Amino acid sequence: MSDPLSLPFTEARRQLSARDYVGASLRAIGQHNTKLNAFIHIAGEGAGAPLSVPIAIKDNIVTRDMPTTCGSRILAKFVSPFEATAVSRLRAAGWSIVGKTNLDEFAMGSSTEHSAFGPVRNPWDTARVAGGSSGGSAAAVAARMVPAALGSETGGSVRQPAAFCGVVGLKPTYGRVSRSGLVAFASGLDQIGIMTKTVRECAELLGVIGGHDPLDSTSSAQPVDDYGADVDSGVKGLRFGVVSEAVEKLEGEVRTNFDAALEILRRGGAVVERASVPTIGYAIAIYYIVANAEASANLARFDGVRFGHRSARGKTLRDLYFDSRGEGFGEEVKRRIMLGTFSLSSGYYEAYYGRAQAVRARLRADFDAAFQRFDYLLTPTTPEVAFPIGAKTDDPLSMYLSDIFTAPANLVGIPALAVPSGFSREGLPLSLQIMAPHFAERGLFRAAAFFEKETNYWRRAPKL
Amino acid sequence: MKITRDEARRIADLAHLEFDDAALERMAAEMTKILTYIDQLREVDDAGKIAGAPLRETPMRDDEVKPGVSRDDVARNAPAWRDGYFIVPKVIGE
Repeated sequence: MSDPLSLPFTEARRQLSARDYVGASLRAIGQHNTKLNAFIHIAGEGAGAPLSVPIAIKDNIVTRDMPTTCGSRILAKFVSPFEATAVSRLRAAGWSIVGKTNLDEFAMGSSTEHSAFGPVRNPWDTARVAGGSSGGSAAAVAARMVPAALGSETGGSVRQPAAFCGVVGLKPTYGRVSRSGLVAFASGLDQIGIMTKTVRECAELLGVIGGHDPLDSTSSAQPVDDYGADVDSGVKGLRFGVVSEAVEKLEGEVRTNFDAALEILRRGGAVVERASVPTIGYAIAIYYIVANAEASANLARFDGVRFGHRSARGKTLRDLYFDSRGEGFGEEVKRRIMLGTFSLSSGYYEAYYGRAQAVRARLRADFDAAFQRFDYLLTPTTPEVAFPIGAKTDDPLSMYLSDIFTAPANLVGIPALAVPSGFSREGLPLSLQIMAPHFAERGLFRAAAFFEKETNYWRRAPKL
Repeated sequence: MKITRDEARRIADLAHLEFDDAALERMAAEMTKILTYIDQLREVDDAGKIAGAPLRETPMRDDEVKPGVSRDDVARNAPAWRDGYFIVPKVIGE
């Protein structure tokens, strides 16, 4: 029998007992994690009887049986008193949590180099980043340590590492998956996302974790669909719009690969035409005001008083706040808190936060107009392949531009899927991004499953 | 948008963050670079004339007591705790 971890879980679970499947996963983690640093915590022997399929959880999603660090010194020893709804739903459906994965601190980053626990290495080339902020989850799935992992999205943090690691990555519609238990970064953008090798697995998992939650007042009452129902329906007659403003300046391998992907869709009978989202070029600027503003508010709770790191220095309450935060937060987190505080401060609020929200409304109107003409909108997931570790850490702005194609979907709340679309000449993964209107995940899976069936890139695994 | 060192200090104070002089200088420079990129949002005219995303009312529930988080679990994460209180340095007096 072939290695069960190379199979989709939909097949592997029929071939193995839960004990054997989880055992295989833990062995693979033991074998590869030292090199890749994908996991911060790994479930121990006494973790309870394995239930069925092993899954990894990004370490900004709270669990009761393992710590939740958010990749930060400030929460290095924190054990949550409650569990995330998405995790409870997985357990109730029989999934076994095998570990918590590494991430950029508080989900702020695009490379997982900003973790207090060290960077995650890309399984396809360990001198390169795995992407971020859900780099650990992406690497864990790509390296076949687990068949699936949860990540989180605020500006592309599931899709971008999925692209860099050659796996499927879904950002659901805002409100589709409960945020209860997802440590908040930007409450109006955050969503738990899913990473798997194949599209069908991703569709099944969305059905498990999605749905209204009374504990999250932003969760949607929209009924949970049968997300995998159309995976064999093909793309004949479906209308795909290529976002011209995103694609027109692209060159090189990413461009060639993207154009080849469009041909595959056309051969399946899809209509593939030019679409326009005129304000899409402003998405990063909008994102880095709105997300950081919300983050500055959400991270105010980390003050050394009730949980997390408390500084031993200082005498006054003021010292306690300043020193605990100073010692506990990394550079990137501090930078984003500063930007956010600035844009909400008196004298600048209208010009920065107010203006960003206004342009965001424009962006949403542009997307609405494009979806009048098309069922889907397409871009590459990222403008480049995985970059070398250290290449962008001195230039925060260049790191932010990694999210140029992913951030728009978070800003307007629509679902988006990254699906493997090939490999560069150097053997690094490339990825196609498909976007759809709100709550149209079933259609996303339909289109992506067709593309996956025609290309089968998921069958190629990194050599570890 | 240029962020001066004084401006950075003011923002750091609001954010309950402290930086030494060198770090503050670095932070001011990085913020300036990022905010200069963000300033392109000024190009979008009439931005304010488009309605935002449809607003939803915050859903309410009946005021019923429901299970919460256990005190023992909270105490376990507390840096300093006595008799159900979080202990912090004295605020009043001196």
